[in-house]
Order: sequence, then structure tokens, then C-alpha cells
Amino acid sequence: MAGFLYMPNTAHPLSYCILVRCAPSQQSQALSALHFTQALLAQGHKVLRVFFYQQAVLTGSSLRVMPQDESNLTSQWQQLAQQHQIELGVCIAAALQTGIVNQQESQRYELPGTSLAEGFELVGLGQLAAASAQCDRLVSFGAGS
Amino acid sequence: MTCLICLSQSPYASQSAKESLDLALVMAAFEQNPGLLFIDEGVLQLLPKAAQPSPHKHIGKVISALEMYDISQLWVEQESLQAFGLVTEQLSQPVKLISRHQIAELWAKYDQHLVF
Repeated sequence: MAGFLYMPNTAHPLSYCILVRCAPSQQSQALSALHFTQALLAQGHKVLRVFFYQQAVLTGSSLRVMPQDESNLTSQWQQLAQQHQIELGVCIAAALQTGIVNQQESQRYELPGTSLAEGFELVGLGQLAAASAQCDRLVSFGAGS
Repeated sequence: MTCLICLSQSPYASQSAKESLDLALVMAAFEQNPGLLFIDEGVLQLLPKAAQPSPHKHIGKVISALEMYDISQLWVEQESLQAFGLVTEQLSQPVKLISRHQIAELWAKYDQHLVF
């Protein structure tokens, strides 16, 4: 969905929940989600939570290596989250099926390592439901099929 | 905030159908009373006992949970159903039929929309 339909108005700061559903390899849509969130924060709006669902859980992988002349979405999200103290939630059910695990899940399922990038958090779908109920605007990027 | 979830994916082509239904169930558990609109190949999610070609859970199990979660607003686009030569009696859940030109009206009743 085009985020541009929701051009923010600085006079009335709103709270947003950003839902990302496309894989980081789906460049334009995945980038739109990042740029839209950056623009919101730059204009003084509040981002309650960024939620990565479906194929977007791959954005939270610490094991992806990008060619040197290409930008790395994972580190760009990390930077943004650090600067603005926003939460990067990764759907735990989708993450586990994709091979994205943190220390806790790795131990629980006796896996040989961890792969969740720093700054990202494994959370349940309930966190998306809660944020979507609280926010003024829910904006979704990328179909996950 | 009320949310209309639009389901347009066939049951097993990808994980998308199951993931959209999972989200509907969780929203219902948070008492947000989401509406579901089945459209295009999404109507196939409502076929009872369809063959299950994937190693994943039978989609009918998730669909039958909708009732337990009090999700009663189930809409099916008439034209999509017709395109597959189906009638509502063949579906696993009681649904409301809606024709394509009425969808904008339904859409307008909800604050949020998620299209899968």
C-alpha cells in the first residue's frame, strides 16, 4: 500500500503502527517501509511499533550478507530504532519457521546457534493486535505471498 | 479500531492464507472483532475437507476456529464464488454474500484494512 496516501501533517502528530510483510529482497516495498517510518519520525509523529510479519521476518536476520555496494536494510532499521527508541517486533511463529531465533529459542529447541539481529525482538502476533488497536494509523507494506 | 481483513490467497499456495487467519484469531482474542472478506482464490479457504497438499496444518482447522473466537462477520464476494462454480451451501461456514459493487460500502464501515 502506498504510504504516500497518509502524508503526515505536523500540526497534528499521530501514532503509527507499521506492519512490514515483504522480504528484504523485495527492494522497493521493503525500502518504502523504512523511508516512510524515517519520514514519520522526522516530522514528529510517534511510531508505537514496527512489526515484521510473513516474509519480512528475514529483515531481522543477523546472518544475511549484502554485497558491499548495496544497502543493508537490517542495519538501517537498527540505526533508526536506536536513534528513536522504537520497537522492532518480529513475529515469533513466522521467525521460528524461517530460522530466525534468539538465545532463548535456540536453547529451547536445542539449535546450533542464534540468528536474530540485535535491536530486533521476537514477539507474538498479540503485539501487532495491541498496537493496531492503540494507534491512530496502521500502515502495511508489501503483500507477503 | 475495527479491522477488515481481506483474504485473497488460495489455501496452500503459500503460508499467506494461514498467516492472515492467525492474525484474525489473535485480533479476535484481543476483542477487536475483525471482519473477514474472502475474495478471488481466498474463497477456496472455505471449502470443507479440501485435499491438503502441503505439510502444513489443514486450513479448515483454522477456519473452524473462527466461530469459537466469535468471528461472525464473514463476507464472500459473489463473483469470486461464481468464478469457481461454487455456492454458499458448499462452504464450511455460514457466510454473507456480497457483490463486487458493494465492497466499497463494506470497506467504508471499517477503520483499518489489511489485504492478504
